[in-house]
Amino acid sequence: MEELNKKIMLVDDDPDFIEPIKMLLESHNYTVKTANSEEGAIKLLETYKPDLAVLDLMMDNFDSGFILSHKLKKLYPDTLVIIATGVAKETGFRFSSDSKYGENWTNADLIMDKGIRPDQILKEIKKLFKE
Amino acid sequence: MKEQIMNTMTVNGKDIPIETGDTILSALGKAGINIPTLCHIEGLPPTGACRICVVEDTKNGALIPSCSFPASERLSILTHSVKVLKARKTIVELLLANHPDDCLYCDRNLDCSLQKLAEELGVRHRRINSNRITQYVDTSSPAIMRDPGKCILCGKCVRTCEEIQGVSALDFSGRGSKTKISTAFDISLNLSTCVGCGQCVNACPTGALVERSSIHDVIEAIQDPEKIVVIQHAPAVSVSLAEEFGLEAGIDIAGTMATALKQVGFNFVFDTAFSADLTIMEEATELVQRITQGGVLPMMTSCCPSWVKFAETFYPELLPNISSCKSPQQMLGSMIKHYWSEKMNIPQEKIYSVSVMPCTAKKFEIEREEMVSKGTSDIDASLTTRELAKLIRMHSIDMKKVVPSQSDLPFGERSTAGKLFGASGGVMEAAIRSAYWMITGTELENLVITELRNKQDYREIAVDINDLKVKAAVVSGLGNARKILDKIKTKDCDLHFLEIMSCPGGCINGGGQPKSIDKDAVIKRMKALYAIDKNEEQNVSHKNSAIIELYDKFLKKPGSHKAHELLHTTYHKRTDLI
Repeated sequence: MEELNKKIMLVDDDPDFIEPIKMLLESHNYTVKTANSEEGAIKLLETYKPDLAVLDLMMDNFDSGFILSHKLKKLYPDTLVIIATGVAKETGFRFSSDSKYGENWTNADLIMDKGIRPDQILKEIKKLFKE
Repeated sequence: MKEQIMNTMTVNGKDIPIETGDTILSALGKAGINIPTLCHIEGLPPTGACRICVVEDTKNGALIPSCSFPASERLSILTHSVKVLKARKTIVELLLANHPDDCLYCDRNLDCSLQKLAEELGVRHRRINSNRITQYVDTSSPAIMRDPGKCILCGKCVRTCEEIQGVSALDFSGRGSKTKISTAFDISLNLSTCVGCGQCVNACPTGALVERSSIHDVIEAIQDPEKIVVIQHAPAVSVSLAEEFGLEAGIDIAGTMATALKQVGFNFVFDTAFSADLTIMEEATELVQRITQGGVLPMMTSCCPSWVKFAETFYPELLPNISSCKSPQQMLGSMIKHYWSEKMNIPQEKIYSVSVMPCTAKKFEIEREEMVSKGTSDIDASLTTRELAKLIRMHSIDMKKVVPSQSDLPFGERSTAGKLFGASGGVMEAAIRSAYWMITGTELENLVITELRNKQDYREIAVDINDLKVKAAVVSGLGNARKILDKIKTKDCDLHFLEIMSCPGGCINGGGQPKSIDKDAVIKRMKALYAIDKNEEQNVSHKNSAIIELYDKFLKKPGSHKAHELLHTTYHKRTDLI
């Protein structure tokens, strides 16, 4: 039943963030592919259509997550996007998808502040998938 | 041992009585002389960290910290001499040297001890300049936000977390001017062992620790014409909210609050005390089952989300002891989305369900994975009592002129047993009333269980129910809970039922409650709950007619398959927290 599993893409330049989440999601029968840069993610998207993507914000560029979010939604409009970022703690800026305005310009379905517990991201993914 | 009046000490040229064990500060307090403090926590040993409480020794002109210096007969002090006032002002100026000048944007504006002191001491310009701290706000936790830039290193959060709550999620790190308050390895609060109880928020004199506000999410939902916005209010809220509007502590304004909530724009107002009654039906049934069928004992209550997280983090071996019942907040959230929505013919996704709680950890609880099914959260947003007051003020509602009204049915009907949940010991009292009825078919002769109503941190009681002697205990404050939990771990305990509340005194002293200037506020709030129990007639959960109807029409019976599906939950060991 492999092909029925929901497909998730994790993009983050911090392997310590990706690995535990990848393991948890795979244990919940999601198919997970990862990339560690904006460039890597764009390459991956050529062959992989995720149902949901978790994107870091600051990677190759300060706005990599936003760029990826826009490109992804253009390529696959149905793909859900979570931006998981430590930008608030690192720079003092805060972004939010809570308001309609935030949702529109970031193109993300959800913005989460790091550090995120793996069980927390699993909950948000399940919520977005309505599982 | 009873303290005896021993002697006197000279203060500003007059003698004041002192007792054995008094510090200068405590003696002055008893004599009605208020000395400002920033780091002092009543009931805990002094640290003398902030030095704001200095007084002048008239004999040698020395400045001595009154919080940590023992009062004695030989002392003659001045509390407000020029030297003292200058020293206090300098301390505040030094604290302000690297403090951000953003009072207008600060959550604690007009409610900040540092701001108040600066005003009182006449600080009118920045005399001392220093480098600002460039550490940004930690927004990771669903319950609490931490802004290290506003921290004055008083250490109250550290001591509250360690000495009162036994959690130790925060501590000092670094040395000298690099000293800061930090989690282990400086990781985000969300990944630390913080249980979100919010006692540190209550202790913090500045805006360094505040709850994560959901006010704007709620306002946006209210303004959305597509949404039906419902709100439930916890038992402790109605007896505390008045303090935010300048009224005396311990006044129950449930009716006024219900009208104000409607004026803010909530479509329906429900009472969490209703689902506290529901919790009792489920929990008492579970307790009876565990006792009669040999389940894991002692059974522990599950109403308090920071206690549950505490157990998941520090006592995972005791998770089977915790009742599988969801908390009253989650039970009502579940009933609103799964029963009421159907009854009212409102699609689930149109309902925006809000709770107002005396608690910051409830914000964490609504985000738990177990509280979401098929993309729908039981509760969409949780506000603290303080946030509710802000929301009401934002809507310019004059609470003194509001005409009281009732909460909406069917979830507005409650027994006083449900209301007792707000105070430590209340869940136990309500549960014993209903468990007794479930086993014997008759009501307990004395519904008021006075042994559970004293102020001690730990209280034990034995109740004869038919041939069974049920031993139960109540503990509040996680530091106190540790002592009994360690006994249970070593099987040195013959209890059947244990109520644990994270905050000392229970929800009335929760992390989301008004920061009252009245030292007896918590006692007054407790007395208000007991007065409700005394003055009203419906004192037991199992006679709440709305509960009876809910079981008849929907849930069938306590502990049924349906009840388990919607009203019960699971817990998991937390291995990922540091």
